[in-house]
Amino acid sequence: MRIKKAMLVFRKDWREIKRNWQVILPIIVVPIMISVFLPILLTAIPSLATTPGTPLSGFEAMIQNLPNHVQEQLAGMTEQQVMIYIMALYFFAPFFLIIPLMASSVIASDSFAGEKERKTIEALLATPISDGELFLGKMLVSFIPSMIVTSISFLVYSTVFDLLSFSIFNGTLLLPNLDWFLLIFGLAPTVALASIGLTVMISAKVKGFKEAQQISVILLIPILALVFGQATGAIIFGPIVITALIGLFVIIDLAIFRTGVKLFKREEILSKIA
Amino acid sequence: MSSVETNGLTRRFGSFMAVDHLSFEVKEGEVFGLLGPNGAGKTTTVRMLACLISSSEGSASVGGYDIGRDSLKVRQIVGILTENPSLYERLTAYENMDFFAEAYGLSDVQEKRNRIRELLEFFELYERRNNKVATFSKGMKQKLAIARALVHQPPILFLDEPTAGLDPESSKVIRDLIERLSQREKHTILLCTHHLEDAEKLCNRVMIINRGKSVIVGSPDELRDKIAGQPVLQVILKNLNQKIIEAIKDVKQVKEVDVDNSASRLIITLDDVKSVTPEVVRSIVYAGGMVLSVNTLRPSLEEAYLKLVKEE
Ligand SMILES: Nc1ncnc2c1ncn2[C@@H]1O[C@H](COP(=O)(O)OP(=O)(O)OP(=O)(O)O)[C@@H](O)[C@H]1O
Ligand SMILES: [Mg+2]
Repeated sequence: MRIKKAMLVFRKDWREIKRNWQVILPIIVVPIMISVFLPILLTAIPSLATTPGTPLSGFEAMIQNLPNHVQEQLAGMTEQQVMIYIMALYFFAPFFLIIPLMASSVIASDSFAGEKERKTIEALLATPISDGELFLGKMLVSFIPSMIVTSISFLVYSTVFDLLSFSIFNGTLLLPNLDWFLLIFGLAPTVALASIGLTVMISAKVKGFKEAQQISVILLIPILALVFGQATGAIIFGPIVITALIGLFVIIDLAIFRTGVKLFKREEILSKIA
Repeated sequence: MSSVETNGLTRRFGSFMAVDHLSFEVKEGEVFGLLGPNGAGKTTTVRMLACLISSSEGSASVGGYDIGRDSLKVRQIVGILTENPSLYERLTAYENMDFFAEAYGLSDVQEKRNRIRELLEFFELYERRNNKVATFSKGMKQKLAIARALVHQPPILFLDEPTAGLDPESSKVIRDLIERLSQREKHTILLCTHHLEDAEKLCNRVMIINRGKSVIVGSPDELRDKIAGQPVLQVILKNLNQKIIEAIKDVKQVKEVDVDNSASRLIITLDDVKSVTPEVVRSIVYAGGMVLSVNTLRPSLEEAYLKLVKEE
């Protein structure tokens, strides 16, 4: 496997995508809106807290169940501070695993199916770029932009949150912290790679972009549900659990990549063009 | 030595036989034509040889490499003009060439630049190199696709309808290029076409295929002889009368005389045009005929081809 050839495929695709606003706009705008919107939502919490009849008692019960190291951090905070702290640092974490999944899903669905539809795939398949290099190149095109978007979103989220919470927490800056670094630069990429690998595999098998997108959405739903359900828990349990998860996903990624390359039959792509 | 060799090469789509046990050989430096009507299986054959789709049965080697086992090597030594230009429309002409140059292993930057420039200049696209391919006309795209096929100076070229979409002038440029590539630079060229003119002018040998099957193989001249029979003699006279016709019929090797009175023209079918022509002319002159012109007529390859394809 020559990484240079995979990067060549990446550069070519990236040049094309850069010029396609229909793809670029949703990938960039939606995540950045989320990362601005979430911290602002938090400023609405104090007013919520004073509204009678909101299920805040349940919230308090949940806080009682948090592990000790979290309880320690919360000690001495006001009720408002506790709520903002928990929401911003734990409850919103899953969004930042979903951003790379969303951003990559469009590009990954397009990878082979799009070239087939636009009738550009034949010349690409005729080149002496190996199956593995092609597959990796197509994965990188989805991976690199989605990680850039995720990093920018994280930066925006931290900045907006710190700006808003600076006074509430008496001048302490809460983000970024170690948990979030591991989440954004460790767990997000490894989870994204697994989904990208599967989506590129699908894209190589189906006839067109739409079909690839539909199947990949069906496939993403259980992953999204899992991420949403478990990410908060993972980050609550701290760096060791997150690191273990990263390790697990690295293994999953390698397995998906190997299977993907093995199942990738370039001679089948043109046979099923109709 | 043969550059391309196939043995019972077959491709099915479901139960449909797109290519049906084709066996042929293309020698080094030869221009070999695959001629056939729409849907004959030309593109499918070339795709199998370029390792773009797998074969269902049979075997083939390209430049000595087996298409099944050594597909990466085959792709390296083959330049292919695909049926669709297969260009990235959002990229410029130069960016397209640049990508494929590197994909085919031109890693030296200066060498790559020179090669791309040379090709784009040859195809009169250099001025437009920074325009997106989406803005190109059909013919310009075709030329760019041919330039791409040549970028790594492949010893073996597969050209699927190279003159499709080109005006007569550009077609001639491409034909001259093909001639030059084969004669001076000894490239081996496999050419798909339903353009008889291309096949006749360019190919050393032609294989006519229909419904996936080989119908006949040979040089354009041989095909004409085989399919449409021997050439005939055409004589145009100033004066035409029955006495002259009788005199011609008396010549031993003459089989048939077709008379066109309005044009004072005779079409004479005979066994061996070359050796008998003088005798026929002499008999006409002795009978008082005044000869305006004598020439041998060959049925055109087109007539031969149409006859053959219809028969199938
Ligand atoms: N991927 C495919 N799936 C199903 N049938 C196919 C496929 N590719 C080609 N065929 C069929 O195989 C036959 C041969 O097609 P092919 O494209 O090789 O013809 P061709 O000789 O190149 O024709 P043309 O002169 O029109 O380009 C056609 O009947 C076509 O419908
Ligand atoms: Mg064709």
